[in-house]
Amino acid sequence: MWAEVVKHLARYPTAVLTGLDAEGYPFSVRCVPEPVAAEQALRLALPGYVAWQSGPAGLLCHQHDEQLWNQTNFVLRGRLEPAEGAWLFRPTQLIEGAGAGQNLLLQVRDGRRAAQRYLAKRGLKRPRIPWVQLHAIYARAQKR
Amino acid sequence: MQPVPPEVIAVFHHFRTAEFTTLAGDGTPITWPVIVLYDEPSGAFISATSIGLPHKAYNIRRHPRVALLFSEPKASGLIGAPAVLVQGDAQAAEDITSVAGLEALWEKIYRFQPPSKVTSSTPFSRWLMDWFYMRVKIVTVPKRIQWWANGDFSRPPQEVADVG
Repeated sequence: MWAEVVKHLARYPTAVLTGLDAEGYPFSVRCVPEPVAAEQALRLALPGYVAWQSGPAGLLCHQHDEQLWNQTNFVLRGRLEPAEGAWLFRPTQLIEGAGAGQNLLLQVRDGRRAAQRYLAKRGLKRPRIPWVQLHAIYARAQKR
Repeated sequence: MQPVPPEVIAVFHHFRTAEFTTLAGDGTPITWPVIVLYDEPSGAFISATSIGLPHKAYNIRRHPRVALLFSEPKASGLIGAPAVLVQGDAQAAEDITSVAGLEALWEKIYRFQPPSKVTSSTPFSRWLMDWFYMRVKIVTVPKRIQWWANGDFSRPPQEVADVG
């Protein structure tokens, strides 16, 4: 997994690191992760004014164009631990999102299946989408 | 309660995405970019997730503590904007909706993302993507708003607490 982490990370200048603060709320900052091959971890210079907690943490990289299209993103699950005046993020799982390698058609298929499971679990019929209403909102949005 | 400064409110309205964190079942923070609507009268943040991507809703039902970071100014038209972190408590609706209660959110999505019409422009795309429009509404009530001038995280943020 480490090679994939490094390959994905290289496409983004910065990342969003989220840990937990002392009250247990997520706390996110932009940072520049530095891969440390020997540790198979990312070194992070996190701001000292946050009471970061060792333990579960996540990392997101994402980008989009001027029309919020051509999005790419991926997420790393992992753990945060202090290391010689900095922090180490040890990735445990890579989750590919939009345009991050996973086939778009597979993502659509998975979304359809997950939606069907969600409905079946609750005994719900497949809702009809009010396309005319949505298209009216689209037309209104383009006039603004 | 201190007022939220106008330059922070401008970020809520103009940044294209926020990095939205929910807590997974094992407590791991999971962050994905979302389009979020700031409802200024109530001070709440409105977003929605498809039932085809339901993990945000599941996470919120288990652990309501969430965060929204606004740190990507691209396409916002704002120069020297602050980065803003909103921490709060979220609720994920049990009902599924497509439009009702999300009208203003869809208008914002369509205004920011004109090419997204491709997912509903033909009978085939509507058949293929209908699940994307089956939504669970998520309402986040902020507890604390912090911001960093010019997006500079090296300095401590300014803060408005107890905003919920």
